[in-house]
Amino acid sequence: MLGRVARGDQRAFEAVCRHIAAPVFGTVRAVIRDVPQSEEVAQEVLVEVWQCASRFDASRGSALAWVTTIAHRRAVDRARSEQRSAERERQAAAFTVTYDDVVETAEANLDAQRVRRCLRSLTELQREAVTLAYYGGYTYRQVAAPLGVAAGTVSTRMRDGLIRLRDCLGVQP
Amino acid sequence: MRTHRPEPHTLAGAYALDALTGADRARFERHLALCQQCAQEIRGLREATARLAAAAAEQPPARLTERALAAAARTRQLPPLTRGSRLSWRRAAARRHGRAAAVRGRTPGRAWMPRLALALAGAAVILAGILGLTVRDAQHQLQQDQQHARIIAAVLTARDATMFRGRVSTGGTATIVMSAREHALVFAAAGLRPLPPSRCYELWLMGPRGDQPAGMLPEPQHGMTGPMLAAGLKPGDHLGLTIEPTGGTPHPTTTAILLLPL
Repeated sequence: MLGRVARGDQRAFEAVCRHIAAPVFGTVRAVIRDVPQSEEVAQEVLVEVWQCASRFDASRGSALAWVTTIAHRRAVDRARSEQRSAERERQAAAFTVTYDDVVETAEANLDAQRVRRCLRSLTELQREAVTLAYYGGYTYRQVAAPLGVAAGTVSTRMRDGLIRLRDCLGVQP
Repeated sequence: MRTHRPEPHTLAGAYALDALTGADRARFERHLALCQQCAQEIRGLREATARLAAAAAEQPPARLTERALAAAARTRQLPPLTRGSRLSWRRAAARRHGRAAAVRGRTPGRAWMPRLALALAGAAVILAGILGLTVRDAQHQLQQDQQHARIIAAVLTARDATMFRGRVSTGGTATIVMSAREHALVFAAAGLRPLPPSRCYELWLMGPRGDQPAGMLPEPQHGMTGPMLAAGLKPGDHLGLTIEPTGGTPHPTTTAILLLPL
């Protein structure tokens, strides 16, 4: 479908939007939280998908991964440019994003159930490190303090946690 | 406070989660550029983060998609990077190897153009045929390569084809063949400084009507980048090159490292 979008097919793009608008908006909103700003960033993401569709390479991963990588990166870029990092660090200390906080507002979907089940197979530290970074948009150094561990430990737990999540979900590029 | 520096490889998870900034990110990307295994791991981890995104899916207001569709209708798409035309450029370059000095500065550089155009068109067809065995959408790839090669050949062989050379301020040289009649130019570069995976070179047509993105440069092959086709030239346009975040931007965010009046 992205191939048709790459050839300028606006109807194909509309169909793609129907598929990706919800994961894009949900991801951006989890990170940015402010709804009008999230809409703005999500719109930028959709336009970038249109603009760069010809650069999508299916041999390097799924379309969902390509789109959500763009969405998440844009969301954290916006969040980090909005607030000074010291301020965010204080917020990270006071604010723990739990998976349930995010999926509470998310639609009940099959992905959410599978991800919830797989996140349970992670250690608490792995789970917190992964969800704080992904849904909170925090850097690994920022999440170290509220979790009470060294930054190096956080980075290791993020990697171990994501590997375990990947294997549990059975997703491979 | 002592800043702890973890082993680069252990940062793969943080990188896939966009949890690296500044020096940490630059350091990991330097490592990533040399580590095939890491690139493969990042791809797998991105599939996992994609499911985190899917799990957070939330239906946006209908106006979001409507606005995106309207904006897309006004937004020029970036041209595809076709493997065939890039490889054929190298073949053509190899053929005229040793004659480059004679070409330098000649305007228009007609002597080598028909041969190059022929090589481009021919090699693109053959290569697309070979690639077609492995590429899912073989027919489309073939058509795209042929069309791409045809347009490039049309620019290179146009009666008013003019060649420019420019030095890229961060390193490397760019060669441009432009045809006002075809409203298009072909861009190629040699010796560009390698960029980390988070950055790319982006071409622009900069003119009185504003800055129009003209595509991101593909990865260099044996030090050669391109050829890239930029269409839709208007009088008064300049060709610009900037370094941007991977994926490109709708407007330049950094100072041009090459700016040529056309």
